[in-house]
Amino acid sequence: MSPVAEHSRKSILVVSRHAHPGSSLPRSALDTALAAAAFDQPVTLLFQGEGVLQLLPAQDSRAAGVRNLRKVIDSLPLYDIEAVYVDSAAASAFGIAPDTLPASARWLDAAGIRELMASHDHVLGF
Amino acid sequence: MLLHTLSRSPAHAALRDCLAVLAPGDALLLLGDGVYAALAGSEAAALLADSGASLFVLDTDAALAGVRECLTPHAILVDDDGFVALSERYSRQLAWY
Repeated sequence: MSPVAEHSRKSILVVSRHAHPGSSLPRSALDTALAAAAFDQPVTLLFQGEGVLQLLPAQDSRAAGVRNLRKVIDSLPLYDIEAVYVDSAAASAFGIAPDTLPASARWLDAAGIRELMASHDHVLGF
Repeated sequence: MLLHTLSRSPAHAALRDCLAVLAPGDALLLLGDGVYAALAGSEAAALLADSGASLFVLDTDAALAGVRECLTPHAILVDDDGFVALSERYSRQLAWY
């Protein structure tokens, strides 16, 4: 694949704010981020609100026959998705310990989230 | 500056998540069940007023839900053309649902 010209690169913020596995939206958010990265677009992923529950480390999806979402999230740096942010207020409210988050994930407060939304060309909500 | 759209009722987490990031200079358009957030005297309407964002309500959805005549004073009714105009004015749009 030829490199994408600089002028056709658009920064994309994917906001994932639903819990897995009650919804297929979290999977769609990751697929969208991976697809954008495959086309050489700079992608940022934000887990907000209930979406932070996708980051719980001990997910066992074998019985359900679906993919382990946390493993997909952990593998994102392999697909050039390095920018992963977590809504710190929601993570605290749900009791998610910072040391269980993916290595690449960074905490962000509401002001930081507003900045993130203002600094991207496109914002996609899932 | 963003155009936010909210289509879930105020009891849903979508409103809370949206409020957390709504900034002055942004616009929020309520549609579907989201129109209930603009009910005069409601907790949601007060929180939205405090956000400093402009508040718009889709006219047909407000009429359908029966809230058209009891909207908070700072809400502005828009029709479909108004929706299109808002999407032209704001380069980015984020849907809360």
